[in-house]
Amino acid sequence: MSTELINLTVDDVPVSVPKGTLVIEAAKQAGVLVPHYCYHPGLPVAGVCRMCLVEIEKQPKLAIACATQVAEGMVVKTQSSAAKSARTGVLEFLLINHPLDCPICDQAGECELQDFTFQEGRPATRYSPVYAKRFNPVEDFGPDVLYVPNRCILCTRCVRFMEDVAKEPVLNVSERGDRAFIGIHPEARLDHPWAGNVVDLCPVGSLLSKDFLHKARAWELDKSASICTGCSQGCNITLDTREGVVVRVRPRPNLEVNRYFICDHGRMSYRWMNRGDRIEAPLVRRGGELHATDWDEALEAAATLLRGAARRGVVLASPRASTEALFFARELFRARGGDWRGAFQVVMGEEAALAAVPNLALRAERAPNARGAELLGYGRDYAAAVAAAETAAVLLVLDEPEIAGRTQGALIYAGTVLPAGGRGEAGGGGGGARDAQVVFPIANVAEEEGTFVNRDGRVQRYFQAKPTPGMARPAWWVFSELLAILGNGDGTEARVATAAAAFDRLASSVDAFRGLSYTHLGLAGVPASSTVPVPA
Amino acid sequence: MTIGVKVMKRPGAEASYVLATLKGMALTFSHLWRPKVTMQYPEEKSSKEWALSPRWRGTHRMLTDEQGRAKCVACGLCPQICPANCIKLVPGEDEQGNRYPLIYEIDEFRCVFCGYCQEVCPEEAIHVGVHYENSEYSRDRFVYDLERLCAQTHPVSSLWDPSDPKGE
Repeated sequence: MSTELINLTVDDVPVSVPKGTLVIEAAKQAGVLVPHYCYHPGLPVAGVCRMCLVEIEKQPKLAIACATQVAEGMVVKTQSSAAKSARTGVLEFLLINHPLDCPICDQAGECELQDFTFQEGRPATRYSPVYAKRFNPVEDFGPDVLYVPNRCILCTRCVRFMEDVAKEPVLNVSERGDRAFIGIHPEARLDHPWAGNVVDLCPVGSLLSKDFLHKARAWELDKSASICTGCSQGCNITLDTREGVVVRVRPRPNLEVNRYFICDHGRMSYRWMNRGDRIEAPLVRRGGELHATDWDEALEAAATLLRGAARRGVVLASPRASTEALFFARELFRARGGDWRGAFQVVMGEEAALAAVPNLALRAERAPNARGAELLGYGRDYAAAVAAAETAAVLLVLDEPEIAGRTQGALIYAGTVLPAGGRGEAGGGGGGARDAQVVFPIANVAEEEGTFVNRDGRVQRYFQAKPTPGMARPAWWVFSELLAILGNGDGTEARVATAAAAFDRLASSVDAFRGLSYTHLGLAGVPASSTVPVPA
Repeated sequence: MTIGVKVMKRPGAEASYVLATLKGMALTFSHLWRPKVTMQYPEEKSSKEWALSPRWRGTHRMLTDEQGRAKCVACGLCPQICPANCIKLVPGEDEQGNRYPLIYEIDEFRCVFCGYCQEVCPEEAIHVGVHYENSEYSRDRFVYDLERLCAQTHPVSSLWDPSDPKGE
């Protein structure tokens, strides 16, 4: 797009936008949302719904704002009586066959047809109450998508997504006129790894997610900005919670990372956030058994183990941990001049790209913070680290409940869950996390604030969406408290109270994050310094 | 020395209690012939002179369809509008794939009987009832579940005066 700016007026508000901008986008800059259905910034323009009709001075007819490019001196009136009555007419047509089933429709509350009808539709229908509305049964489109043809307003966003973005054209508009509906290829299913996006794109409740069906009403949901933990792409998401339970994951637009989309793998990987079998209190080993205790005693017990450890430790960390947690886990050994080794393991899966969006795919590495761990000096040689753990003085395990190796030293486990089953066999230290000397209950990604670094080195914040169970605390808090108790010799260790302070401590001591600040990361993230080579 | 005594005149008929008693008894017995204002509750619950208003808002009742199923589609509007937060609703899906309430409970102790639930209900399913007899042996019996709400038979409130629906 050219850098040349075009000046125009939208509803008496002057705006300057780059040449080639569409009127509907220019209107957004003027603070005017022109009602629309078929237009979506992530899809090619179709201009089929005719909902965004606006009056443009010196043009004989109303124009659709989504397909008209701005011109110098243009005067756009979105609220003129001609434009409003045209849009009211469009809405009346759309509602001819639209069922009045908002009470049972999952989209109710976030439905654009509801919103715009409320905004500028007719207050009552002019159709006879005995007029029989068109009826078609619900169709099963794919693993997670249901199609309710009665509610469809044929905006064709789903068709264009599958055809132009996913490049798997299995949907079309079948039939014509008032018999038209969204058809699916008779031998195909809507099972593309990114197909779930059609549910988000649908402006009405026509395409529904089976996973979310009847689960919650839109107005009951609390929304929190987060980062997908499904893979190393780091897609921006919104966690929708209802009464402290994550019920849905939706994409959050970020033009640098995932644009407007997330894959189905990420969309479905939220159930573990609601696990009920969590560790709810710190545990310390007394007389061979783990006993629940308070934070003070547990931290003191861990500090004692670390003090006597000759500063030689191994950290086995989960690449799902926040960058801050990984940093403070490292500092427990490194800041005191100790000899440490950290490693993480990554679960691998199949890669699935979204064809039309460059550098967007469900990545094979199913870990959100593998890059962050690398930047902090954690290695990928997990097996070697497990072997090294056998002779280490302290083995600190961060949220990896199934530890294959054993250790002669003290085992400290900070995690969300304990593995099922009893203790490993006796003799020479432990096996699983249940054999730890101290167990810290930590928050998972939905329960804490923190940052992840995606595969391209973009540092992105996620926010707390639900309360932590019991006494669990963010891992960065646990490790920073421990560090404060241990001290670094000169007694300057200040306690870290907030995620922002934790990140600022990280940014001030790690080169890759230098110059970054928590507030500047914002909701879209900032690339970490790319000049710093990844430590071996 | 003798003490002087002043002899008072005894009061006559105006101080006598006999007449006053007779007057009082006359009033008492005259009530025997007056029209009765009491009602023989609980044998008698309403009369021509006195009945509950059709706009009375009492404990709830869920209306059912022809098959005896609750008319509720679990749209979630009543728990949303309820100012006392006394309605618990968990939506689900029945065998036909229709949306219906898996759990629908009203805590009648928390309820303030505002009638908003009836007013907001798009399916005309939940109603406040023209009903006032709610005694129970335990507090938890005052949480009415869906089955109990459907089993209520008392008339439902009209909420507003049918002849003057806008209250003018």
